[in-house]
Amino acid sequence: CSYTLTLACRCAPQLFYSFFKSLVGKDVVVELKNDLRLVFYGLASTAYLNIKLTDISVTDPEKYPHMLSVKNCFIRGSVVRYVQLPADEVDTQLLQDAARKEAMQQKQ
Amino acid sequence: MCSKRSPNHTMGDSEQQQEAERVCDAPWPENGDDWSDAENETGMDCELLQAMAEEDEDINVYNEETFGMDLDTNGPTDGVPFGEPLLATPPPEPDPKPPSLPSLPSTPPTQKPPFLLRSAPWQRGRGRRGVLDRGRMFEDPAVMRVVEGRPSLMSLDSAIVDCGHALYRNTFQENRMMPAYKKTSVSGSMLQDDAIVCVIGHRGRGQHMNSNFMDVPCPISSYGGRRGVLRGSYSRRYFGQRVPQMHEPMMPRSPIFSRQPLTPRQHFNQMGNFVFPPNHPCHSTAQPLSPKIMQLRFGANSPGHSPFYSPSTNPVEPFSRCPGPVTRLHPQHKRLLSQKPRIFQRKSEGWDPCCNLMTTKEKEWITRLQMIQLQSENPYLEDYYYQEYYRRIEAKMAEEELGIRNKKEPPKLTTPYITKTDTYTPVVHIEGSLGQVAVSTCYSPRRAISAVHAVQAHCPEEHKDTRQQRLEILCKIEKLFIALLEVEEMERMKTTVLSEAEERRLMEKSQRKVECIYSQLQHHNSTASGEEFLPFLVVSKGKKLLARLLPFLKLDAALTVLHVVTSNLPMLMSRDTEEALPVLYPPLRNVICVLTFNQLITVLKDLTSSESPSTFECLSLACQNKFGLSLLYALLSHGEKLLSSGVPLEPSIGDFETWTDIIFQVAAQLSQCSLVEPLLLPSNLLTLFCRYLDKRTVHQLKSNMESATGFLALPS
Repeated sequence: CSYTLTLACRCAPQLFYSFFKSLVGKDVVVELKNDLRLVFYGLASTAYLNIKLTDISVTDPEKYPHMLSVKNCFIRGSVVRYVQLPADEVDTQLLQDAARKEAMQQKQ
Repeated sequence: MCSKRSPNHTMGDSEQQQEAERVCDAPWPENGDDWSDAENETGMDCELLQAMAEEDEDINVYNEETFGMDLDTNGPTDGVPFGEPLLATPPPEPDPKPPSLPSLPSTPPTQKPPFLLRSAPWQRGRGRRGVLDRGRMFEDPAVMRVVEGRPSLMSLDSAIVDCGHALYRNTFQENRMMPAYKKTSVSGSMLQDDAIVCVIGHRGRGQHMNSNFMDVPCPISSYGGRRGVLRGSYSRRYFGQRVPQMHEPMMPRSPIFSRQPLTPRQHFNQMGNFVFPPNHPCHSTAQPLSPKIMQLRFGANSPGHSPFYSPSTNPVEPFSRCPGPVTRLHPQHKRLLSQKPRIFQRKSEGWDPCCNLMTTKEKEWITRLQMIQLQSENPYLEDYYYQEYYRRIEAKMAEEELGIRNKKEPPKLTTPYITKTDTYTPVVHIEGSLGQVAVSTCYSPRRAISAVHAVQAHCPEEHKDTRQQRLEILCKIEKLFIALLEVEEMERMKTTVLSEAEERRLMEKSQRKVECIYSQLQHHNSTASGEEFLPFLVVSKGKKLLARLLPFLKLDAALTVLHVVTSNLPMLMSRDTEEALPVLYPPLRNVICVLTFNQLITVLKDLTSSESPSTFECLSLACQNKFGLSLLYALLSHGEKLLSSGVPLEPSIGDFETWTDIIFQVAAQLSQCSLVEPLLLPSNLLTLFCRYLDKRTVHQLKSNMESATGFLALPS
């Protein structure tokens, strides 16, 4: 796995960065709007909520054989449909608290 | 052989023509066999090297005079394009006889063309002509040239890269002159230099910088320039010119430069562990450098501290020297990552996914540049989720190491199972299109958030009041959560406060907030009586709010909440569709543990003496509910603890009879119906039942309880 983390969130809230940073080293699946699903082991990085993935694998290689040789990719945030998170790695209560704090900061 | 004119020397046309003729008269043997390194090497090398040395010296002197002496006087409006800082670098005195210099006929010095081709307009008339002439002699269409291009799309996306120049290296020249250094086809060093300045310019926080800002390190391995020698210093002026909106050349808007003076820790973080890679020692310049240049030098000659973060000499841990906790991985996170087995080992250790376009140091440097924007003065606030998440994991692992058994698990993310269809028919399909039109396949995920509008628009009149009330309660809960977060924050700050006065002040403020939240929960609807806390207990978010508020309440207030819960337990259990009641168990158990015997009997009466449903039905419902059964067990367990402790109980009249009656009723219910698994099975329950019941009943209870939990219910 690659644990390189590159983020440059100029406009994206810090909450997204902080949340995705906690997923470094965890298995995450990114589903794109064209139904392509990418599994990456260990990296999530966002810039303008774009995602840079390293060491990826495709969940449906038969359907997308051209992605077999792709190891790293940069995904524009607007084409992401879902980011499937590992349930065990998400603390929902903490996430709610972080969202509330973020909302408070933005109000101020 | 072409010779480089001194930049200070203005030549007339005739002189230039003579110079060119001399160039053209260079001895090129027409017979290729006559080209021999052995014959011409010595003479050619000496002439070449001498010319190179003279040329270097001239340019060094010129640069110093031009850029080193008048840094303060010239403003940022010279119009010199960005990228010129390198021109200000006084190139070091080259080695007169580099051993690896290949001997080619009429080989001019070649390290200067990259600079002079990018020279400022006012320079171009002087030295560019000769250089270009020289350069053209080695024109090779296969060789990349120094051109100025538009920034790449990739660079535009990143917050740091917004340079106006995309510079390419003349690799042929570089390869010739820097055989000892690692060569890369395209060097990103120039981009890195531009990127630093653009980071400063684009950050937009209006923060000031200190004078050390200009000490920007730069990986030197691929940036050869003059025979692979490091750049000595930047001109302050050129940075200012790049960002014309800067009134002072040293006014970036980087987040790392705060208005307030840096704390020692911040200063340390910003200084970082800047160690310039020592593998390319800088050749010291022959000419003396002005103090201005000395303090602006970077690269190998840079001072040891820098607000920016240079490529670390340790490529193993790219984040070991990240600045600030926002961009640094938590130590617990690092430990978890190091422990995690690497399942995928697709590449060998030496394989570089970037095809060696950049060195490791350069990659790290870029990474750190990108992280500059993430630096924060308040990492706990801006990086709250990550910091708190791994702090909790660390605390949990510490407890596990100490052997503290904690059955409480963090709330997991649960999503309803939705059958995903393998194929879907797009609403709009354009024949031959590469992509598909995006069609939502989710089930209105934001419906709950926009409930207000949905309810007002589509809700029938008869249901409107109920839903409106629910929305009001939800809104109130959110406001109270914010207050509760402040209370928790003040509680956390108590440990960091040094003075007692400050701590007392915090405690008072915290208590006031807690009382405010409590009163809001207790008297939500002033018209309805007997409905204290109930509207919030019906909602799962309200349960969570109360669960987190209970530890801060005084005993009287907490007891009131416990009474409300036990009195309305059947209703709460029946309306707990999301099974959120268990979240109340830990704080309520802590309240139960400090009850007196009299208070305990009062709570048990609330639990069992409701008229509708009857006691039997109430107990039956409790046995079928995890929270209800666990609460019942906790009450009985505490009573047994009080009875066996020997402490004077000071009961009221009838307390012991009530206690005995409840024991028999509970035992009868537990032995008859099937039990659910409780949240916690106290160890002293069988001892309690043995005290009052016969062996057969106790044995039946034991088997019933064990079958529900899967654990042996041994008497303590």
